[in-house]
Amino acid sequence: MSRFLLLVRLALRGLRRETRRSLLTASAMALGLALLIFSRSIAEGAHEDWIDLGVRYAFGHVAVQAPGFLASGSLDQRLAPDQVRAAEAAVAELRERGLIAESSTRLTVSGLASSAESAVPVQVMGVVPEAEGPLSRMADKSVRGSYLVENDRLGAYVGTALAERLGLDEGSRFVLTAQGADGQIQGQLVRVKGMFRTGLTELDEGLVYMPLGTAGDWLTAPGAATTIAVMTTGSEQVAATAMALEDLLGDTGALVLPWQESTPELYAMVRLDDYGDYIFHGLLFAIVALAILNAVLMSVLHRKREFGVLQALGLSPGETGTLVFVEGVFLTTLSGIVGMAAGFALTWLFFRDGLDLSFLFDQELTISGLVFDPVMVPKFTLSHVAQSVGFIAVIGVAASIYPAIHASHLDPAEAVKWEG
Amino acid sequence: MNRTVVRTEDLWKVYPQEPKPVEAVRGVSLEIQAGEFVAMAGPSGSGKTTVLNLLGGLTRPTRGRIWIGEDEITALSDRELARLRLESIGFVFQAFNLLPVLTALENAEFTLLLRGVPAEERHRRVRELFALIGLDGLEDRKPGKLSGGQQQRVAVARAVIGEPALVLADEPTANLDTATGAALLEVMERLNHENGVTFLFSTHDPRVMERAHRLIHLVDGSVESDVAQGVRGGVGHDR
Repeated sequence: MSRFLLLVRLALRGLRRETRRSLLTASAMALGLALLIFSRSIAEGAHEDWIDLGVRYAFGHVAVQAPGFLASGSLDQRLAPDQVRAAEAAVAELRERGLIAESSTRLTVSGLASSAESAVPVQVMGVVPEAEGPLSRMADKSVRGSYLVENDRLGAYVGTALAERLGLDEGSRFVLTAQGADGQIQGQLVRVKGMFRTGLTELDEGLVYMPLGTAGDWLTAPGAATTIAVMTTGSEQVAATAMALEDLLGDTGALVLPWQESTPELYAMVRLDDYGDYIFHGLLFAIVALAILNAVLMSVLHRKREFGVLQALGLSPGETGTLVFVEGVFLTTLSGIVGMAAGFALTWLFFRDGLDLSFLFDQELTISGLVFDPVMVPKFTLSHVAQSVGFIAVIGVAASIYPAIHASHLDPAEAVKWEG
Repeated sequence: MNRTVVRTEDLWKVYPQEPKPVEAVRGVSLEIQAGEFVAMAGPSGSGKTTVLNLLGGLTRPTRGRIWIGEDEITALSDRELARLRLESIGFVFQAFNLLPVLTALENAEFTLLLRGVPAEERHRRVRELFALIGLDGLEDRKPGKLSGGQQQRVAVARAVIGEPALVLADEPTANLDTATGAALLEVMERLNHENGVTFLFSTHDPRVMERAHRLIHLVDGSVESDVAQGVRGGVGHDR
């Protein structure tokens, strides 16, 4: 048996002898890791929800726009018909590659909605109904009438609050007025096909959907678009999709924006929440590290005489330190495995259908104007689980270093007389 | 022909302490030959344990030189000292100091294990030695399941199993009752007589002093007398 294996054997027996202490320490570490995996998967799931919901109401996971449109919102910064065709072809190709799930070509303009009763400033969004429906899920928000279909040339889908302000009902007519691409003020008569309610005042009071073709003709910009919104097959595909779109669109002059750039306020909110999580995880790590440090150091102090004897018998100071270090690493490994299993089990057993926080809120859970589902469904990300395990391993190893150094610096003549 | 296993030259150990440094060992010069059975006696605080620790390389002298066999150990690194202890020195402590996680056999074979001796040979040697010192059948017991006398015999077995040049025993009978202490002494005498193991004890115990072949008296860290007492005595002389 090599000397290192002998140290390993001694370390294992040392841990076994101090069963209660070892189990307590391992439990603290395992619980820490389990909580870490659980909280990260919940946070990850919540972020995924936020992003999904947020970008569906905004520009999707990835947006193709003309440069300057994001800031100005003006029709002057629109994608020309050839750019739209190129972008749609690129999107179709990436859909084939499995990167893109949904896309919608939109022509958006600020205008005025007028009825016999009132006039209200609105955002008018020309869309292809069957493409926009699944992307923004506006069809699901219908509370009266119905969502647009392909042949609704003059149909309009409006927010309930807007309809109320304009005194509109299903089938009512009203006029949309906006500056067209030719610089002239253009008017368009439309008829209420259906009404939606999202819970977001900004949308419910100020958004009108109409067919893209009608919008293009009305605004003298047929075939043009202001945004091609894209939902990827998962938020982890955003960067790859954006990069692939950029490659495919090359020199067309179209701008590709991932959601972090097109919806910066949502990105800031996710980052802010991330920082909160980092602090929580940092505290958790610190507690776990102190637990290991305490257990391993106490074990060293308690067994000072034993380490002195080992050195008297011929173990070098370095080997004595290695013995202590190996004990710490074993403890960490054991706890890591148990903690990982417990973390998965805890998340899976209790929260696979989501953590329902609705009991905490009297009303809808609204953050930055977005209504969120109070049921948080955890999401496991292999990289995050690996990160958590890695952190615990690093902490376990780091917390074992000091006791190991302490053990290697014992004075054997004093240690063999230790009465602790 | 006699072979010197330990030699010291003007050995000093001073512990820095306020208000005045403590001179635990003061100018000790000794020579011990192979096969000697030497007791070092003296009152508490006379420096007996410190001398043993110095000879065993567990602590470093403030001044002076120590040779174990041909090797001067004073200038060795910690790692080299550990190697020297493993190969040339056996320790028996007053409080037995067996490793509680190991069985009697594993404790006894420990230094052989560190030296990389194959398991079969280790076990054979331990069993032979256990038979010689009356530990037959106790191989698989943990120290907690052994009596004080049995534990100290395992400690002696651990000290001599590697056939070191010198066994240093710090008051080995102090924690044992009279009968057990006498039995242990017999075991060590037999190992000295039959196997030629060289022993140096520190002791308060008059029985140990009587049976030693050479008796060194330490007083206030200095050798007061060094007397050959028996037929196996080596270089004894009065001071």
